[in-house]
Amino acid sequence: MVTEAGRAPDRPAQRASVAAVLRNPWIDAAPLADLAPEQSRIGPVLAKLLSARLAQTLGGVDRIEAFGKAAVVGTAGELEHAGALIHTPFFGNLVRELLNGESIICFADTRAEAGESLVVPLWHKTHAPTRSHYQTISARVPDAPRADEIVVIAAASTGPRPHPRIGDRRTDPVVTTRTLEESLS
Amino acid sequence: MNVRKMVTVVEEIRAEGGRPVSPPATVAVVAAVIENPWAGQGFVEDLAPGIEANASDIGALLAPAVLDALGAPAEAYGKAAVVGLNGEIEHGSALIHTLKFGDHFRKAANAGTLLPAVEKRGPAGVVFDIPLKHITDATIRSHHQSVEVRVADAPHPDEIIIGLAAAAQGRPQQRLAALSTEQ
Repeated sequence: MVTEAGRAPDRPAQRASVAAVLRNPWIDAAPLADLAPEQSRIGPVLAKLLSARLAQTLGGVDRIEAFGKAAVVGTAGELEHAGALIHTPFFGNLVRELLNGESIICFADTRAEAGESLVVPLWHKTHAPTRSHYQTISARVPDAPRADEIVVIAAASTGPRPHPRIGDRRTDPVVTTRTLEESLS
Repeated sequence: MNVRKMVTVVEEIRAEGGRPVSPPATVAVVAAVIENPWAGQGFVEDLAPGIEANASDIGALLAPAVLDALGAPAEAYGKAAVVGLNGEIEHGSALIHTLKFGDHFRKAANAGTLLPAVEKRGPAGVVFDIPLKHITDATIRSHHQSVEVRVADAPHPDEIIIGLAAAAQGRPQQRLAALSTEQ
């Protein structure tokens, strides 16, 4: 991001998303089949590949400040298949470790036709409530997922939003229905 | 030239038609989202001063960046201009259809042929396909290909996306006979 609202940010951030397209390993599986074996087989491969590409693209693990993940399952799969590949220690824990993070990794998932774009949320990799780092990146693979494929995405940013100025939890006033009694009545 | 942001897309195809592609087929795109130099000026008859002020700088910005993103020598290339809704397609064409723009890429890639191009106008998030052809002989059929790009929040009505695309090889699993074999 070079300028936003016509001004250069104090800390211009680079955002990247890396997507892998793979065949849905459960496409021929029986309904309600156990997902665990494929999760532990595929998750680590994806975690390593996507984390390495993110770090390479953004100039190293140390430059990454915020991260997120996502999956898009093709129309012949279950939404649970998308979740199965990203919501598992075999993927999430490894991405967190490889990117030197501590936070839970925020996510998006959906089932869609090829070319659907997905807004992937990112937040701070060690201090998730850091409001300046709440941001998103739009990710899209033009010809994927096919009906029997899954797109798995890891995303990261090297800094905050371009001009963060909405405070933080520490600077927020106390807001409850009681303090707002007048305007809500 | 006021650049709002730069976007890089790298596609690495490892299988096509159910068969592995080795080494993976790689295509890279780098796009700059810039302010339309003629925004808010009504119909500008003479585009030459704006071309002079911007085209070379954009070419110099994008050419090394796309080759860097590709990470290999380019064998095919192409270019794009996508104009926001308040502008003319002529504005985008003005910036990319000049040697001042394209020669940066040709020189950096040791290329000689015309850069195939897409020019269009659309809203932010519009999808565009960049055509690519071989960098020294545009009749080499194996290298005719295209790459699809979308920048989620660009172009704004007064912006233009200018892009360059480079491929390290022809199409994955290309197997059409050479043009010279047809009568």
